[in-house]
Amino acid sequence: MAYQQQQGPPDQNFLWGVFQRVDKDRSGQISTQELGQALSNGTWNPFNPETVRLMIGMFDRDSSGTINFQEFSSLWKYVTDWQNCFRGFDRDNSGSIDKNELQQALTAFGYRLSDSFYSLLVRKFDRQGRGVIVFDDFIQCCVVLQTLTAAFRQHDTNQSGWITIGYEQFLSLVFNVKA
Amino acid sequence: MAYSQGAYGGQPMAGGAPAGPFSQPVDPVIQQWFVSVDQDRSGQISTSELQQALTNSNWSRFNEETCHLMIGLFDRDMSGTINLGEFQALWTYIQQWKGVFDQFDRDRSGFIDANELNNAYTQMGYRLSPAFSSMVVFRYDPQFRRQLSLDNFIQSCVLLKTITDTFRQKDAQAQGVINVGYEEFLSMVMLNRH
Repeated sequence: MAYQQQQGPPDQNFLWGVFQRVDKDRSGQISTQELGQALSNGTWNPFNPETVRLMIGMFDRDSSGTINFQEFSSLWKYVTDWQNCFRGFDRDNSGSIDKNELQQALTAFGYRLSDSFYSLLVRKFDRQGRGVIVFDDFIQCCVVLQTLTAAFRQHDTNQSGWITIGYEQFLSLVFNVKA
Repeated sequence: MAYSQGAYGGQPMAGGAPAGPFSQPVDPVIQQWFVSVDQDRSGQISTSELQQALTNSNWSRFNEETCHLMIGLFDRDMSGTINLGEFQALWTYIQQWKGVFDQFDRDRSGFIDANELNNAYTQMGYRLSPAFSSMVVFRYDPQFRRQLSLDNFIQSCVLLKTITDTFRQKDAQAQGVINVGYEEFLSMVMLNRH
């Protein structure tokens, strides 16, 4: 689903058709497992399960661990937005982005990070061990970075770029970043 | 609260903690275990071999992430596998975690709740609030049962240990508070992701 071509916003009938195909057990709800099987990252490897959990968690308003059709519609838009963003930075259309392309993407998002930090990001989010980041890992990387930056900013009340943080607060932050 | 005695915890189980992965002669029982877990006879144990060898008390297999984390604790050369000496050290840890878990799983259900988790952490030397334990249960219970199975419990213990080590390195005076810049903060967290 993630790599289908689309023009304009998808209409409800189209989305309903997709929803029914993804909802294999016809429960009216999509589970993490069902969503994972339906998404493609452009390789033959399964979609990053942490990214799937992360996204279900984002759109699962009632904390049921599954998403209904309405929540699925929001998730669909989210994934296609990321897809367009990813394609924009994948200049050579390789289906993956390298460290330089990642740096350009995140710089465009407003991050200012050192060269060695980008190396760390690629090392940590490259699940295939190829030195590049594919679509699903890119989403995970961006969401984690976004979450951490928001958490940091909350502590950085005077916007100095420095925070003072206690042990349990720090622990909670790291545990919360886990998808 | 967490630092009331100027300590971090994380050195629980006095006397039982392994001194180091290579310092002890290998126990023949553990050697036998190693051989049966090392299915491809490579002399190294991988995440999937470890996963096949470990079960929760309801016979479900350990989750992959926990096995990956545990291998990562001892895998010094970043090969993704561990040798016999490292396996022995890991085995000692697993037994200790299981011991704590069983002690707090009073009804032998195979699960512990947030309260029991908080007591388990306290026994292991960590001083953490009940709110923290509730958050951990919420985060680590994939089936939304508000309880942790043994593998989820171990997963949280491994993360707790590695983050505490990272924090302690930065907190040279053991004040329980650190001052950290944006990118260093990001790196500290990212390095604790596996």
